[in-house]
Amino acid sequence: MTIGTERYGSRADTAVFVVCLVLSVVALALPEGLRLPIASALRRTVLLPVVTAERQAAQSREERQDVLALRAQRDSLALAAALLPDLRAENAQLRALLRLGGRLGYGYVGAEVLHQTGLTDGLTLLLSAGRREGVELLAPVVAPTGLLGAILSVDAHSSVAMAWSHPDFRVSATVEGGRIFGIVAARRGEAAGEVMELTGIAYRETLPVGTPVVTSGLGGIFPRGIPIGTVQGVLRETAGWERTYLLKPAVHPAQVSHVMVLSLDRAADTLTAAFDTLPAPGDSVPKP
Amino acid sequence: MRVPPDRLKLIAALVLLVALHFVLRPRFAPSPFAPDLVLVALIFLAIRTRPAVGAVAGFVVGLLSDAVSPTTFGAGAFALTIVGFAAGWLKAVVFADNLLVNALIVFAASWLRDILQVAASNQLRGGALGLQLLVLSPAAALSTAAAALVALLLLRGWLTAVPSR
Repeated sequence: MTIGTERYGSRADTAVFVVCLVLSVVALALPEGLRLPIASALRRTVLLPVVTAERQAAQSREERQDVLALRAQRDSLALAAALLPDLRAENAQLRALLRLGGRLGYGYVGAEVLHQTGLTDGLTLLLSAGRREGVELLAPVVAPTGLLGAILSVDAHSSVAMAWSHPDFRVSATVEGGRIFGIVAARRGEAAGEVMELTGIAYRETLPVGTPVVTSGLGGIFPRGIPIGTVQGVLRETAGWERTYLLKPAVHPAQVSHVMVLSLDRAADTLTAAFDTLPAPGDSVPKP
Repeated sequence: MRVPPDRLKLIAALVLLVALHFVLRPRFAPSPFAPDLVLVALIFLAIRTRPAVGAVAGFVVGLLSDAVSPTTFGAGAFALTIVGFAAGWLKAVVFADNLLVNALIVFAASWLRDILQVAASNQLRGGALGLQLLVLSPAAALSTAAAALVALLLLRGWLTAVPSR
């Protein structure tokens, strides 16, 4: 860097300095009535580009802050929107469960399904209620829309339910107000929780599509009238002997978040009216 | 009249610093420690010219900055006149020219400007005065000196010219 080498403070420099100093003192001493108009005139003329540039830069900063704030709000809303369907579904399930509880009246234990990430989730379900809460081995597990399964094992504060989609699960079923009986099991080879089959229906009986299938109450485990599913069509026929029907399940194990475990004391009851299906003639919810 | 290229570069560098001051500073959150690039430009000019040029430039810059805050109209002009003159005079006396000396002069000029301006405007008292002159002003002077150092490094080739006296 090169700096001038012949620099010194001459009289002229000092004179200019003194003049500038005096002028600034005069500016300081100006009355407000003069000071403000001069400042205003400077802002409107010489400083106009500077003031404009500053204003634009400040606007740019505010806009950037606005964008950041908007982005944060958008992210929050996106997160809330992403959670909303799940919350609504869970709410709907809980409300339905409350209604079911009111209709059942007694003899049940509420439990939460603790879904696991394993491949077998949907075949067996871990429930948040156990022996201490009144859960019994083989007790029926129901959701607001129908049968989910039965208790497979019980611990003190948790239990494992075998869902209807489990290959070993069977339940005696009936249609048409208890006139036709069969056995319901998961449809082998299908994805868990998708379809079930109703076997053992006499060849002479024909079930139209959409016919509701409920538990028959036989076997001393499942009360009568719990919805299992609806008929989707004939799966296969053994000529002259029986028909097997494909059923659309009333409950999808993987989608259930809250359930009720019924007491085995209610095995002899008829619960058709407790569920959101049309009651069969003569069915009624027993009084406690 | 033909202006030598070196001098044009110097003027361009000073204009660039002033422009950056008014374009960059408002883009960031207001801070009392933000570097004052106009002061840096003034000092760069003052130490490359006669003290009188520094005084006049300081007076003009100060008056314009006072116009933005007319409550203390004249205080900035008063302070920067002294600072501009002193920078030119001090450079003639010290004569050493390296980055640190330049940064040191900017630091001292910034702090001195604040002291003079606060004294001339007579707006602060007691603790606020102490906080301003002993904490905020040195911190701002430090950031201004750092900015001057960066400017010297970046614009080294543009700041070699010696304007005519």
